[in-house]
Amino acid sequence: MCLNHNDTANPSHFEQSEEALNAPAHRDIAWNDYKDLIKGMRFFDPHIHMVSRTTDDYQAMNQAGIVALIEPAFWVGQPRTGLSSFKDYYSSLVGWERFRSSQFGIKHYCTMGLNSREANNEPLAEQVMEILPLYIYKEGVVGVGEIGFDDQTPAEEKYYRLQLELAKDAKLPVQVHTPHRDKKKGTERSMAIALEHGIDPSWVIVDHNNEETVKSVLDQGFWAAFTIYPFTKMGNERMVKVVEQYGPERIMINSAADWGISDPLAIPKTAALMKMRGISDEAIRLVTYQNAIDAFGKSGQIDVTDFEAAYAVDQTEKFHGNSILRGGQQPAPVKDFLVIK
Amino acid sequence: MSDIIKQKLWDIIAHHTSDNEAEWLRQKGSSTPLELMTAFVAAPRFLTKKIVTADEQAQAALNLEIPGFSVNGWSLVRLSRVWLLTQLDPSDKEEYVKNIETLFDTAEMNELVALYSALPLLSYPDQWLFRATDAVRSNMGFVFDAIALHNPYPEKYFSELAWNQLVLKTIFNDKPIHFIEGLENRMNEKLAMTLSDFAHERWSAGRSVPAQVWRLVGKHMNASLLNDMQHLFDSANEDDRKAAALACAESGFPSANYLLAKYTDLEKTVKSGALTWADLEH
Repeated sequence: MCLNHNDTANPSHFEQSEEALNAPAHRDIAWNDYKDLIKGMRFFDPHIHMVSRTTDDYQAMNQAGIVALIEPAFWVGQPRTGLSSFKDYYSSLVGWERFRSSQFGIKHYCTMGLNSREANNEPLAEQVMEILPLYIYKEGVVGVGEIGFDDQTPAEEKYYRLQLELAKDAKLPVQVHTPHRDKKKGTERSMAIALEHGIDPSWVIVDHNNEETVKSVLDQGFWAAFTIYPFTKMGNERMVKVVEQYGPERIMINSAADWGISDPLAIPKTAALMKMRGISDEAIRLVTYQNAIDAFGKSGQIDVTDFEAAYAVDQTEKFHGNSILRGGQQPAPVKDFLVIK
Repeated sequence: MSDIIKQKLWDIIAHHTSDNEAEWLRQKGSSTPLELMTAFVAAPRFLTKKIVTADEQAQAALNLEIPGFSVNGWSLVRLSRVWLLTQLDPSDKEEYVKNIETLFDTAEMNELVALYSALPLLSYPDQWLFRATDAVRSNMGFVFDAIALHNPYPEKYFSELAWNQLVLKTIFNDKPIHFIEGLENRMNEKLAMTLSDFAHERWSAGRSVPAQVWRLVGKHMNASLLNDMQHLFDSANEDDRKAAALACAESGFPSANYLLAKYTDLEKTVKSGALTWADLEH
């Protein structure tokens, strides 16, 4: 945000107050400063786009205690030009990316859907809707998502509604993306439409909330997800305040890390910050782990023994010879060594 | 495909399923292709997660129908998926191939594993050759394993080039080659020589190769491979020395026998049968 400092006694709306400067919206924390605070904690990131992330991220996530994640189907930064690109992308979410994640001891789930931006390419959207049922019944698909509004066009509404019906048929939770622009109205509209289709709000996770949207989302019985994504979405300092105000019930935190400047460690860092601020361990556990499992677990596709038991296993033993750990590579970070063998 | 094998698979499934699960499978198995294919995908939503064990008798019966075919260690979902594929009607070839190709095209990891496990049972086996070699190219370990290990399809249908690629990639991925069906039958000179090159690369990099891979060279011993044997006899690793002894003993190459004779203890254990390749299978 552009700051327009001047000397008038009556500051403009866009000026940052003294108080705001003293209480920043987001704070980055170094691993060494917070690792002890979250020791023994387990995290579940219900929204992260691993296709855009590196193996360094996977290693750091595993080290920080992230044991499972959900990768929602989204748009990949530029529009797809044909059905095959969608097919290959969906297949990668249940194939290669799932496998890659397993190599780092992290259980990978996904949600499947046609994102709102590309819903506007109607001829293509029509074809995508035809193949989508093939994917939503797949093992480890824990919801239809991320779907909803971007520009809030009639085409977006049409495919949002069609996919809500799909979710109903398949008995899957819905992961709703709320728009960046005109967010408040877009969020209300998304919820109203879901209710209109007779969907139980406890089966709907409304994503990318902020201080302005959270109350209505919770009041109507939906799950409220918060994305810790500095600058454009929530900062972690703000997040702590939300949990202080609303408590941990039906609230969950995610990183939505993708190809933009984002942080795959947003959850462990926010957990550390909550711990520093004196939020109880149980509340931290709910918003960084359990609530996501309860919400998406309605799909019947999450078996916690898959990742609770596997936590801290020796990866080389569990995932016998494979291509990520080529010829004797080590799964754990060994970044302090100069010599590369 | 014989009806006997379908029945044998069903017997094992029946052993591991509840009445509801068996009924669901039976119904899907006799439905339209589209419904059957959807069931193939949705199977984990209707079947419990468990590992299948076939008793010796059941295993022998499977082997009698298709040598080398085994379901031990499979999950119930994998076995049921394979069984569902055997229920697809193959009478219209074009339709049958299209349906299987669709499943391949949209498959997730565990579905791919089931599809590749089913290759020895599918009709029109030549149709799946490209898919099968593609699985060897796969970077997903479980998918690679499904074609390379305990699967009799490659032995029967792979060209020498594709076969050698499969064996080399198994070694490259540090997986046990004795789980490859037909390893003995399809040994060849090219493979032996490529293996030697591969070992030299690893040695230059200060790395090693699993000792049992030298079982692939004995029958094709020559002067160049003999140098490798000397290298192995000089190794600090006991398994390497044993491998060299075994390979030399089965070579029938006079200089190899002469070399082996220098290591009297090893020669004795090999010739007495006390040492076999099975000792190096790990």
